[in-house]
Amino acid sequence: MILKRISFFAFLLAFLFCFPFRVLGAENHEEAEKGLDVKEIIFEHLGDGYGWEVPFNHNARFPLPVILRAKDHKWFCFSSSELTELEEHTGADGKVERHLVPVVKTIKRDGKEYNFVIAKISSHKDKIVEIFPLSAEQQAYLDKKLADARSASDADGFPVIDGYVCVAGKYYSEYRPLDISITKNVAALFIVVLLVIWMVLGLANYYKKRDLRAPRKGMGFFELLVSFIYYDNIKPTLGDKAAKFAPYLLTCFFFILTMNLVGLIVIFPGGANLTGNIAITLVLALCTFIVTNVLGTKHYWKEIFWPDVPIWLKCPLPIMQLIEVFGIFTKPAALCVRLFANMMGGHMIVITLTLLIFILAAFGPAVMGGATVVSVLFSIFMLLLDVLVSFIQAYVFTLLSTLFIASAQESHDEHEAHVHADGESHAEAESELNKEKVLLSKEAAAVDFK
Amino acid sequence: MELFTPDFGLVFWMFIAFLLLFLVLAKWGWPVIIKMMDKRAATIDRGVEEARQAHEQLENARAEAEKYVQEARSRQAEMLRETARMKSEIIEQARAEAQEAAKKEMDAAKIAIEQARKEAELQFRTEVGRFSIDIAEKMVRSRMQDDKAQTELVNKLLDEIEKN
Repeated sequence: MILKRISFFAFLLAFLFCFPFRVLGAENHEEAEKGLDVKEIIFEHLGDGYGWEVPFNHNARFPLPVILRAKDHKWFCFSSSELTELEEHTGADGKVERHLVPVVKTIKRDGKEYNFVIAKISSHKDKIVEIFPLSAEQQAYLDKKLADARSASDADGFPVIDGYVCVAGKYYSEYRPLDISITKNVAALFIVVLLVIWMVLGLANYYKKRDLRAPRKGMGFFELLVSFIYYDNIKPTLGDKAAKFAPYLLTCFFFILTMNLVGLIVIFPGGANLTGNIAITLVLALCTFIVTNVLGTKHYWKEIFWPDVPIWLKCPLPIMQLIEVFGIFTKPAALCVRLFANMMGGHMIVITLTLLIFILAAFGPAVMGGATVVSVLFSIFMLLLDVLVSFIQAYVFTLLSTLFIASAQESHDEHEAHVHADGESHAEAESELNKEKVLLSKEAAAVDFK
Repeated sequence: MELFTPDFGLVFWMFIAFLLLFLVLAKWGWPVIIKMMDKRAATIDRGVEEARQAHEQLENARAEAEKYVQEARSRQAEMLRETARMKSEIIEQARAEAQEAAKKEMDAAKIAIEQARKEAELQFRTEVGRFSIDIAEKMVRSRMQDDKAQTELVNKLLDEIEKN
């Protein structure tokens, strides 16, 4: 059995070594010579998009609805497929290359013409902007700016100028409309929501049907997670109030966990980097902020504005109050950034490792072959680590939310009683935080290593 | 950069999606699951407790039964002993009674025999008396045939009476 496995891996490695030679033998070094815009590729993979890539096809997108409010407050809705076009051109060696390029979408309504385009050379890169032809005044301003920029960089390119967008070599003035399009991330969000609802209601229905019989297999595993979060985390921390906050915390956990894991899948339904996008984690942290502070007890607010410290720390100069109020905002901010940075970091490392192959291709086939083996092995390792990180980050987010909420739920007498007993749970939370820090530093080290 | 600056559209949809998810799950999902898990945990705890109690009760019952069996056995032995004693007693008693009855019977027989003997004696005596008188009469008659013998006898008898 083991021998079989070893021989399998040996075969795999041999295959990986051969592959680049064959590819390089067939193609010229054009790609490597051109140089890769690594940053561009990474952010294209991690970022949002108006369409969803069809698996294994770079030039096809599943169209998604675009919803916009133009400058004159009119709403527009159309398919994202109308914003791109497949452009073909024949290379010097007779090869046909296809690229997806943005085109201007023109809509006529009430005798007026509205033009939308996905901006490429603009401060709103890869976003839809409404474009207007330039007035004479704007043209003069733009010419001046362009001349400045071109003389500074000694090139004839099309520099990014604030408030203007360059489409096919021509500049227009731009307006970023209110954009609530169903983008790739939004669509993935809906898929995740449906997935979580399906899982949770599935388990709830199971219980309704089978009463007290324990679920098996997948559902049993799901229930294991629920009981792990509820009985090991929420219940001991919140006590009597566990039932009140459990729905929010459990929803948070499973939503984040599912988003993290779906984000690790490379192709459709996955492939959207949700938790590695700050908008998502911001909303989650904001929800915890609202739940913590809106439902906070009188004692919690008293601890903020009149804490139990020597009087000179709070009376003439409100030092403690300042720190506490600052703390209200830093706690959820930390939640937001922690989840975002961890997930985005993980994705970025995997993509960078993969890109390493193409970057090192410039040094010849042997180096590329070696790089391929190393990158693939490292990528697999990192992806596995990311599965772990997905769980840990969802858990840490829930754990810390629980702690924040619990700290805002303490009443006066409880606080008195807890003063001594709290040492332990604090130590526990701290050790958890330390673990987290170690993990973060490891990941940071991994990033630095690149 | 897009990743670091929250996009309004995404924030908007995320908020709606999360709120929707939360409302649906808070209404139909989590309370059911938590209630059921609590209920099942309670049921299992109770089951364990009940099993323990049942086991205890069984042990108790077994001990009780053992006790009863032991008691019954000892009572049985007691009864057997008692019966044996009673048996010998009854036999003894019967024997005594039989002896007594036999004795009584014998006594009665003895008395009857005595009576019969006395009656027979009496009868015999009268018979003998009557015989002797008859004999005497005959003798006397024979002797009285000569006068001398008669006088001699009378004298002799008179002498005898005088002597007495």
